[in-house]
Amino acid sequence: MTEDRRVRVLLADGQALFREAVRIVLMSQDEFDVVAEADDAAHALSEAERSQPDVALVDSDLPGGDGIRVTSQVAERVPSCRVIVLSGQDDEQVMLAALEAGAVGYLSKQAPLAELMEATRAVSRGDVLVPPRMLGTVLKRLIHRRREHDEALRKLGTLTRREREILGLLANGAGSDEIARRLVISPETSRTHIQNLLGKLQVHSRLEAVAFVTANDVLGELVGVEG
Amino acid sequence: MRTGFPQRKAEVWLRQSDAENAIYDPGTDEVHLLNMTAVAIWTLCDGSTAPEEMILAVMDLSGLPRDVVQEDVLRILGDFEHAGIVTWRE
Repeated sequence: MTEDRRVRVLLADGQALFREAVRIVLMSQDEFDVVAEADDAAHALSEAERSQPDVALVDSDLPGGDGIRVTSQVAERVPSCRVIVLSGQDDEQVMLAALEAGAVGYLSKQAPLAELMEATRAVSRGDVLVPPRMLGTVLKRLIHRRREHDEALRKLGTLTRREREILGLLANGAGSDEIARRLVISPETSRTHIQNLLGKLQVHSRLEAVAFVTANDVLGELVGVEG
Repeated sequence: MRTGFPQRKAEVWLRQSDAENAIYDPGTDEVHLLNMTAVAIWTLCDGSTAPEEMILAVMDLSGLPRDVVQEDVLRILGDFEHAGIVTWRE
């Protein structure tokens, strides 16, 4: 297999022995090329950005940080890289967090190395890898998230255009006075709009309103929002 | 697409092992073997999840096109209904 067709892999794990075992197994196959290794969270991210791997195998318990957070950062900064999170034990919460962070695969480190190799091969082809017996849990979470998103959109639909503008400005860090200046309204009117939108969103503070926007990923639905 | 929400029959139970997944219906004394996808769909048959939601979730996870996912999900639900292990709530 030519070099440019090999699957380029980053290994991110705090245990040198584990990395070495995985490297040996992957490099024994012509189709893989271990292009980078990292032993902690910061190193993992910098190596991902430097080496631009096709697949990253990331330990959920990376030293110096959090493998799930690294997964999220890699997904954002190296979008072409497909991340498999490896965990010391089967843990539904870790798996769900990994998938929500952008991982396309989750595998227990108890699994045989041959299974890890097959998982790497599968995700490089575009497959998503979820332990079969966790599939129902993952689907339930996806359904729950979609329902929450739909409910958030329904609530946004009850806001006036002006209220949506103001929510967007709040989400971007603007206070009442700045909102008033930008929309050429009085500070009192600005505060009134804010109170109205808080009521419609069923939240109790501006912070909760911003959290609502962030948690439901609806910033793009708001009027006049600058990214 | 059929309207309503598929609901597992309460008396039916699922046994999972590394080797196989089996559903036993004591009412008919029948055993139905399921693959992992069918097991996942089975767990969603809680009487409040619509087939459309199941389809969208599988699409979200797998990245497969809608026509493929819809055919699979509806076929599985149809098999469950034919086997008498789910009912439909309106």
